[in-house]
Amino acid sequence: MPSMPEKPGDLVQGTLDMLILKTLALQPMHGYGVAVRLEQMSQGVFRLNAGSLFVAFQRLQRAGLIKSEWKATENSRRAKYYALTDQGRKRLNSEKREWGKQVAAIARILEAS
Amino acid sequence: MFGGLRSLFRKKRGEKELDEELRGFLDMAAEEKMKQGTSREEALRSVRLERGSLEISREVVRSSSWESIVETSWQDLRFAARTLRKSPGFASIAILTLALGIGANTAIFSVVQGVLLAPLPYHEPDRLVVVLLNNLRLKSPTYLSYRDFMDWERAALPFEKMSAFAWRSFDLSSPGNPEHLEGSEISSSFFSTFGVGLALGREFSTEEDRNGGAPVTIISNGLWRDRFGGNASALGKSIVLNGVETTVVGVLQPGFRFGTDYADVYIPIGQRKLADANDRLAHDVECVARLKPGVSLSQANAQMNAIQENIDRLNSESEQGLGIKILPAKEPLVGDVRGTLLLLLGAVGVVLLIACANVANLLLARSAPRTHEFSIRAALGAGRGRIVRQLITESVLLSVLGGVLGLAAAEWGLKAALATLAADLPRGDNIHLNASVLFFAMGLSLGVGILFGLAPALRSSKDLQPTLKEGGRGSTGRHHRTQSALVVVQIALTLVLLAGAGLLFRTIQHLWKADLGFESQHVLTFQVGLSPSAIKTGADVRYAYQRLLDRIRQIPGVQGAEITTEVPMTHQMNAIPFWVDSHRPASVAEAPRTLGFITGPDFIQVMNIPLIRGRFISQQDTVNSPLVAVIDTELARTYFPGKDPIGRTITFPQVGDYRIIGVVGHVQHWQVGYSSPFTQNQSFVSIYQIQDRWMTSIDTWTWVVLRTPLEASIVLPEIRKAVHAAGSDQTIYHTQTMPEIVSESMAPQRFPLIVVGSFATLALLLASIGIYALISYSVTQRVHEIGIRMALGAEKRDVFRMVAGQGLTLTFAGLAIGVTAALILTRLLLSFASLLYGVGASDPATLASVSAVLIAVAVVACYLPVRRAMRVDPIVALRYE
Repeated sequence: MPSMPEKPGDLVQGTLDMLILKTLALQPMHGYGVAVRLEQMSQGVFRLNAGSLFVAFQRLQRAGLIKSEWKATENSRRAKYYALTDQGRKRLNSEKREWGKQVAAIARILEAS
Repeated sequence: MFGGLRSLFRKKRGEKELDEELRGFLDMAAEEKMKQGTSREEALRSVRLERGSLEISREVVRSSSWESIVETSWQDLRFAARTLRKSPGFASIAILTLALGIGANTAIFSVVQGVLLAPLPYHEPDRLVVVLLNNLRLKSPTYLSYRDFMDWERAALPFEKMSAFAWRSFDLSSPGNPEHLEGSEISSSFFSTFGVGLALGREFSTEEDRNGGAPVTIISNGLWRDRFGGNASALGKSIVLNGVETTVVGVLQPGFRFGTDYADVYIPIGQRKLADANDRLAHDVECVARLKPGVSLSQANAQMNAIQENIDRLNSESEQGLGIKILPAKEPLVGDVRGTLLLLLGAVGVVLLIACANVANLLLARSAPRTHEFSIRAALGAGRGRIVRQLITESVLLSVLGGVLGLAAAEWGLKAALATLAADLPRGDNIHLNASVLFFAMGLSLGVGILFGLAPALRSSKDLQPTLKEGGRGSTGRHHRTQSALVVVQIALTLVLLAGAGLLFRTIQHLWKADLGFESQHVLTFQVGLSPSAIKTGADVRYAYQRLLDRIRQIPGVQGAEITTEVPMTHQMNAIPFWVDSHRPASVAEAPRTLGFITGPDFIQVMNIPLIRGRFISQQDTVNSPLVAVIDTELARTYFPGKDPIGRTITFPQVGDYRIIGVVGHVQHWQVGYSSPFTQNQSFVSIYQIQDRWMTSIDTWTWVVLRTPLEASIVLPEIRKAVHAAGSDQTIYHTQTMPEIVSESMAPQRFPLIVVGSFATLALLLASIGIYALISYSVTQRVHEIGIRMALGAEKRDVFRMVAGQGLTLTFAGLAIGVTAALILTRLLLSFASLLYGVGASDPATLASVSAVLIAVAVVACYLPVRRAMRVDPIVALRYE
């Protein structure tokens, strides 16, 4: 079993939103697709439960960062596909920059002797 | 936001979509697992574990969006209503308790609102002020002289409008029956200063408002309806006032009044006799003015002080050195009761706190058995915030229901209370349950609901997991401590209220026992409006009084009768300057004052005032004999210390030099226990030695006092007959017995005593419910423990000690805190209004007796639960485990 954080829901709220935006930046996806993709990209560190994922979707949609549409899946099942809006793309870029700065700063602090 | 709104309206669709989406998510996850070879069941199970079940996910997503707050609030409300319906006993006690607390607060607030807060019913009342003179040396405000007012009118004033008025009463003899009426002399711009229009006619013109002007009057709406049937043709008709035909030029709007009394008749003040109008020492005129926009009270004060200094400089005969004092118009009206009302507001706030503590305790007691319910809801995905919200909804529902019931109670209680007490309050007729009172009650209910609901809600929603594990045994120890603390607070607060009521009660007791300096029993007082035709000259008036008194003294059962300008405790204030021998001060303003009783020879017999030295005035002291005066022990002690005042001279400026012929006992003229800013010196002169100038108008301030052992109702018809026999158009009015007057003078203490007393009773009731509920609850919780103790050999005595000890420990803890708080708070509360007499704010006897009352009530409240505890059967108690 890959090691799992004790409570996957403990992800910082802003972080989860950013990761979802990043995932959707590649192509529109349905909820399960996003969850699987996040797990793959994080090599199993982030395992999302349905509740927190869909809360995030609603939050992002209300903020106008993503939009949704019902479509058929490859297994001909009906699912709601989420896609980035222009605003969402802008937000992703700015968050990435901000994140990079913060990580660098934190790293400097932690590595300082 | 709009998405939220849309989904609120299309909730069903949104919910379906979410369900479909979630189900799809979970199915896809399960299919993935099944591809790896797990059975369908196993796959579904592990997905539920890893990703959460459909139900919990749905709850989590839904409760995260704002529209769910509206929806869940509605759910909470319905759930709360259901829960309360399931425990009607708890609900009705809680609602009733809150209704009492909120109702009492609403009632008191509506009094404060109507009396203190509501603006006066005039145009822009904030700019309306009264202007007084202020004797800085004697520290007492006084009215101005009409001469001062006329000088002010010529100066550059900080006022847009200014007008003078003086209370005066009239005898109306036509049309209709003779009647005594209260009225006022006013200057021409009186009503426009208030910004109040007339119903009919016009104000006085400046030509009418001067000496020699035509006799005109403005009458009240009531008098107009009474005497002219409300007919507009009343304008131009005449009424006979004090024997003078006077033309009606205006009729007032209904309900107009200024000050505490209604006036029915207004005449121009400028028509005063010249001697009175020019007398700078006659301070009988009040002044009301409207500040210019943007002018502050202190600016106006400075400007008016400069004007008055100028008047003093130019007129050596004025009472030099009086300052100006400008007050908001509301101040003289309500200034006296502000302290008392704030005291009552404080007291009723304490009642509300006690009520809240009671309900909080009930909620806590209820929440212990409900811990299980909360744990299950928490396990089903409800967050702590959700549970707290549910509980707050319950308590707010309780408080709002209590508030509605309380409002009804306030309406009813206020009506009952005002029927007896309104006369003790200025603006008493202005007290209603109006919009701002409703607003207050609503706000109070919501605030109270959150206040008493929050603590129990936070307590109950903490640490829900362990309780579920324990299988329903709540964390009662902590609950218990909170509940005990609440009961201690209740007892302490109740003691404070009891102490306040006790102190006021002792005050009233002392007031009744106080030596008044005269005997009020069997004394009757009234005023007589002498027939105008019979009092053209001073000699006429003297004769008229002698004739009147002769007739009254002949009535069987009347032991004595006399006339006087001052009746003790009626707030009449004929304070006149004086000096002894040749100690004339530089200005009259610096002269001490004495209360001048202008009376006849029988006054001290009728009132039963002791004669200490010399003699009282007699029949032989007349206009043709030397002026003589009698002084009281107070004046004798202050101005003739250790010396014999008899034979010395006392001078009343403008009136004359009087030889002192006797000393009588001091009379309580102001209300007992009231530290009057006015003089305590008293002197007595004979009405038969008063100069003609004042005699012809003296009857409006003269009273008859008479002593009779008969009931007032028996002797009054005879008195009426005697008055009418002496002159058929003579009126008799202001009839009161002396004991009634004495009792009325205690109104400032009686009113708060009644109110604080009822609050204290209410508090006692609530606190005893609180103690009872807590002990009773704790016995229920501890039945098991008691059973074990008894099985292990504890005696009934030990159980008694344990349970009763708990109640008494709480009571004594509450008493200790309460006594300390009472020592501080009663002093603070009563400092709003100096109400106490003959008893200190920390009177040990009062504190001891109210503590005893509280202990007795606590013992009674503990009795039932203690008895139940002692009857616990160990076998029955243990079998339930």
